[in-house]
Amino acid sequence: MKKQNVLIIGAGVAGMEASQLLTEAGHKVYLVEKESLIGGQTIKFEEVYPNMECSTCMVSPKQQEILQNENIELLLLSEVKEVNGTAGEFKVKVKKKASYVSLANCIGCGACYEPCPVSLDNNFEEGLSKMKAIAVPCAGALPNVPAIDAENCLHLNGKKKECQACKEACMFDAIDFSEKDETLDLEVSAIIVATGFDMLDLKKLSQYGYNQKDNVYTALEFERLYAENGPTEGKLILRDGETPKTIGIIHCAGREEQGYCSAVCCMYSTKFSHFLKHKVPEAKIKEFHSDLCIPGKSHQKFYQEALKKEIEFIRCRNIQDISVEKKNGSLQVNYQNGNIEKNTFKANMIIVAPAMLPGKDTKNLAETLGLSLDEKGFFATKSNELSPIATDVEGIFVAGCAEGPKDIPDSIAQAEAAVGKVVNLSQGKINE
Amino acid sequence: MTATENIKIEKPPKGASIPAKEGIKKAILGVFKKALETEALDAIMIPVKVPETESYAWVLLKDTTLLENADPLPPVMTIQGGKVLSDLTKHGKINKNIAAVLRPCETRAAVELFKLKQLHFENITLISIDCPGAIPLSEYLAEPEKSKKSFDNVLDKWDGDDAVRKVCQICYRFSLPTLTNAPASDLHIGLSGNTKDDVLLIPVTPKGEKILERLDLKADSSLQKWETKIKEIKKIKSQRRKKFNHDFKANISGPEKFTAVFDGCINCHNCQSVCPICYCQQCYFDSATTKLSSEDYFRRAKERGALRFPLDTILFHLGRMSHMALSCVSCGACEDACPMSISVSQVFSLVGEQTQQAFNYTPGINREESLALQDYLEDEFCEVETPSECEPTNSNEVKENV
Amino acid sequence: MSKKIGVYICECGTNISDRIDIDSLIEEISSLEDVGVAKKYGLLCSPAGKKYLAEDIKKEELTHLVIGACSPREHEQTFMKVCLEAGLNPYLFQMVNIREQCAWMISDKEAATRLAIKYIRAGIKRVALHKSLEKIELESNPDVLVIGGGIAGIEASLSLAGPERKIYLVEKTDALGGMTNKFAQLLPHQGANLSIVKDKIEQVNNNEHIEVFTSTAVEDIHGFLGNFEISVTNQEKDSEKKEFKAGAVVVAIGFGLYDPKETPAFGYGDVENVINALEFETMISSGKIVLKNGKPPASVALIHCVGRKEKGYCSKTCCLYSIKFARYLKDKLPNVDVSEFYQDLCLPDKSDQNYFEEAKKKGIHFIQSDEIEIKDINDRIKVKYKSAEGKKEELSVDMAILAPAMVPSQDTPKMAEMLNLPLDETGFFKEAHEMLNPVATPIEGVFVVGCALGPKNIPDSIVQSQAAAGKILSTLIPGKKLEPEVKTAEIREEFCTGCQTCLSVCFYGVISFDEHKGISIVNEAICRGCGSCVGSCPSGAIKIKHFTYPQLYREVLEALR
Repeated sequence: MKKQNVLIIGAGVAGMEASQLLTEAGHKVYLVEKESLIGGQTIKFEEVYPNMECSTCMVSPKQQEILQNENIELLLLSEVKEVNGTAGEFKVKVKKKASYVSLANCIGCGACYEPCPVSLDNNFEEGLSKMKAIAVPCAGALPNVPAIDAENCLHLNGKKKECQACKEACMFDAIDFSEKDETLDLEVSAIIVATGFDMLDLKKLSQYGYNQKDNVYTALEFERLYAENGPTEGKLILRDGETPKTIGIIHCAGREEQGYCSAVCCMYSTKFSHFLKHKVPEAKIKEFHSDLCIPGKSHQKFYQEALKKEIEFIRCRNIQDISVEKKNGSLQVNYQNGNIEKNTFKANMIIVAPAMLPGKDTKNLAETLGLSLDEKGFFATKSNELSPIATDVEGIFVAGCAEGPKDIPDSIAQAEAAVGKVVNLSQGKINE
Repeated sequence: MTATENIKIEKPPKGASIPAKEGIKKAILGVFKKALETEALDAIMIPVKVPETESYAWVLLKDTTLLENADPLPPVMTIQGGKVLSDLTKHGKINKNIAAVLRPCETRAAVELFKLKQLHFENITLISIDCPGAIPLSEYLAEPEKSKKSFDNVLDKWDGDDAVRKVCQICYRFSLPTLTNAPASDLHIGLSGNTKDDVLLIPVTPKGEKILERLDLKADSSLQKWETKIKEIKKIKSQRRKKFNHDFKANISGPEKFTAVFDGCINCHNCQSVCPICYCQQCYFDSATTKLSSEDYFRRAKERGALRFPLDTILFHLGRMSHMALSCVSCGACEDACPMSISVSQVFSLVGEQTQQAFNYTPGINREESLALQDYLEDEFCEVETPSECEPTNSNEVKENV
Repeated sequence: MSKKIGVYICECGTNISDRIDIDSLIEEISSLEDVGVAKKYGLLCSPAGKKYLAEDIKKEELTHLVIGACSPREHEQTFMKVCLEAGLNPYLFQMVNIREQCAWMISDKEAATRLAIKYIRAGIKRVALHKSLEKIELESNPDVLVIGGGIAGIEASLSLAGPERKIYLVEKTDALGGMTNKFAQLLPHQGANLSIVKDKIEQVNNNEHIEVFTSTAVEDIHGFLGNFEISVTNQEKDSEKKEFKAGAVVVAIGFGLYDPKETPAFGYGDVENVINALEFETMISSGKIVLKNGKPPASVALIHCVGRKEKGYCSKTCCLYSIKFARYLKDKLPNVDVSEFYQDLCLPDKSDQNYFEEAKKKGIHFIQSDEIEIKDINDRIKVKYKSAEGKKEELSVDMAILAPAMVPSQDTPKMAEMLNLPLDETGFFKEAHEMLNPVATPIEGVFVVGCALGPKNIPDSIVQSQAAAGKILSTLIPGKKLEPEVKTAEIREEFCTGCQTCLSVCFYGVISFDEHKGISIVNEAICRGCGSCVGSCPSGAIKIKHFTYPQLYREVLEALR
């Protein structure tokens, strides 16, 4: 078999799985990732359902494998800009932004963070903490190499040309301000799109009173809040300095607006309850949901265990009627249960589970790749196949949440399936 | 983790009563004689008094005349019967139909060895017998006649005599629960203890039933009286054990006291070679690995100021203890074998009991149950991992066994 | 041959040298037995550092290597590669973490140095006991046995078959297609229809690289990844036996259905015109939706979640196919009154909700309900239920269609025993890792896909088949030899007592018992070197290469001194 080049877009769990497996098959992989670290959304989680396994511990061996794999060329801070040609001979232009830090020289000691005078919102931490213009966004990030935020770096944006604080602090000569953005020309025989998902911006749904000031948290914010490597090092300290005592967890935010169920929110909301009950045994927790979507052989048990811990699950007549308001300085959830009685629940913390959306670059990328989107905005797959992996463009495949909301094992299965298709394609075998 | 003692009781309601006008031992031997004559059994493994000496040996006998010197309940335990049965069957089943008559602790050792695949039960009918204890071997050899008398006295009264070994005095497993759904032996011999008029043959497994059938013995006598008596004695012994353990624990706890217990050890490893549960082919402590280079001996001597030989005797006992704790049946063989009169079995029995309670496991009491370390239960010892979320796995109370 | 151990301390820029007095460390350990050279270097992982190290290993003719630097997680692989380049067996190397575990932990330089000395000494004493380990290569057979001729098995076969890879597809019934043979129509995922399934069966039958065995049972499988030996018997042709070899096995034996009779409240078998979903599919196929009396129903109740409570899980597919039935009924009999009795609507796929909304528009009633009881009252079906408001209500209908839970196929326990696969508490096969390795099993080379792993729809089953194919295509490459793990467990015959405790703890099923010798045997070709057996062995008869007792004992002893 001839060794071929394959482009994988997105280094989340699906992209990592596909990359690793393809190199085992003897191929070379270009792994394009828009962030400066790999692992995708999964590394933001402290624990995964249903076995409450530590997520970073689970994923970091995979990340290490990717970094040490000689047949994977990792292109961080990169985006696919142009694709021409057909299966077997795609010509791809990738724009790789300068990171100004040499991956080869940097050993990840972090000596450069401290001297940097710039302080920015840490987007990886959902803005819950600050970071410097040169830093890795969280402890344990892989690769453990920072990137310089060119827009905000005083030296690079010209506001204070003479600032070289990081360069002076680095003893490995790893910082190179002269590095330029570059465009790489790649030739690949197949492409796997694993660009993952984004979350619905809660600010667009005014009924939840989300303002980044009160103790209303998005699911991802809460994931970071309770992460050991997060902004509070796992301590449950709310925005007002209190600890959570009465907690309302609201499911399905944006489900009606988006027109689909996001498949994972019921389970991860239940996971939050398990976690909160573990950390704060006296906490009073109510979950506000519509239909519980807990398919799969082990999921119902996870829910039943939550019931045993006296977590209250309230089926709401209409999930759109749930609202959060601040009355006399304290938060409350307004809802209607099955009896259509109007009810309120006073809480000092509220977690909202927003719908999963297609990644925000999906539309552009689809145009670049010549792919179509489905009516929900996810990548569309071939209509005459029973499985959602192959796209209408031969040689381009989709895996993971880029195709629609799903959990980790389903994303991984899709990635492995895509690899099977690529390997078959490379051997001239085309299904159908 | 297992919990045989919480198993729903399924008992044979009745046993076969054998008249014991000439004494219980004669009655039992009579049954065996008949079994051999009618070929219900091909052979019997039973302790027999060695002619010309006062010792007892295990004999696999077919010839009924040899039964005359046999004793189903000798005053001493020279060799642990479980170990003998293991020697006999370890390398595969035997083709003859054999019965072995064992004390409860020997039976339990046999069951543990069975679970460890060091013993096979095919074609073996295991017969257990209620046991009032055994005389310390050294005392017996010094004064055999006196010891025999004390033993008869203990057997007569069933308790209250401190002639038997310490572990026997506090043994509350001197009988075996006869649960058909959790069997240890196939047939249990109940010595009613108070009347002496008869002995009870209680079938536990189909094998046990078959023997009775072959001997035309009907299991039609109530067990109630026997059970009541057993419960009574058990209560007394359990209380005594509790008190003893409490005091004994105080005497051996802490590094200094503990070391003092084993201070006299001469590293002969007798305790290891007589222990039925110590079944390894080659013991680490007998291997070359434990011998250091002279450079290392000198370095150690330098570090500590002096070096005592033999080396690492405490390590040996601790190592053995960690291996034995879950399966120790408190048979006392180790203590009988110790030339330095170290209270080995008392220490092992105490540590064993606590370890076994932690796993809710009673060694050798149920041959259907797997070894404590072979079962993985998700919630086991959750109090170690997530103490706030669970009930403790066990209490430290000694559970009363019915 | 005498030993010559080389010790190299990395300064890691100033990360280590700032906090540890490397010179006194070197002085301290230079005099240790067998230490040939002890040196420091600025940054060993840099290209220049690696080159220096490789040259020094050769120049000094080192027999063993110790590197004191960062965490082995970071650079153990890096330095093992350097060893290989320099002609030193990479297992004669020990990496000691004096950065994360000394320099970065302890601010007092003297204390950090003391600790680093202990650790380096431990590394030196350990490495002296290392043995070189060599990679071995095993021939492997690229062919694949696929068990189960349902849609998952068909897809796996088609994805895998090729000129260099033969597929043996074994199906116990006399036809391919599995459960889909009983369906009148498929769900609208990706515009699916049954002709796609028919086409696929056609492709299987026409594929020269797939050998199909129908009416055939798998009798025995033994062996391991790359080398399975299989025997099957044909149930019709006088139990004709066939034997063949394969490198991997895909288990796609599907599912069974919960018998609604087990819960008498559903009235199945008692109440006339209460039927299960498969029976309704047959009705659709016949084109005649009629009651026992031959008349079409005027009202139909669709009962979801039959057996969900009893089995303890949601079967994922029932909501959607019940909606499919309702829509079919509405299209076929426009005046029929259709009510869906559901507990939770489970519509996790992105197109599901539209499908449901359309059904609502057709006038289908959706009733959130619990505690369903179906009774025959005056020859009409009465559905009693507890409504969302908690009230007891009832509805009379002509026909009730039950959606039973999906349960493991009846062949599951037998197959699990044959392949030594674990089952989970629901009775389905258990994944190698529920999250990260969803189609593999603890037994290397054996995969489980589709509903044999748990309830799922057709697209998800097919994805799993393709996933297993992806794993096999990437790892079991024709002509490529397998390189098993070298750090495997080894049983020392003279110590093994044959208690078989190790068999019960081996997650990967690689230990067997040799009845003749009375001892346990590790198949080193497939042992993953996890060490569970080592810890479990009461006799200490098992050792794991590179982590032997003397090596660990020595290392710990020195570190604690």
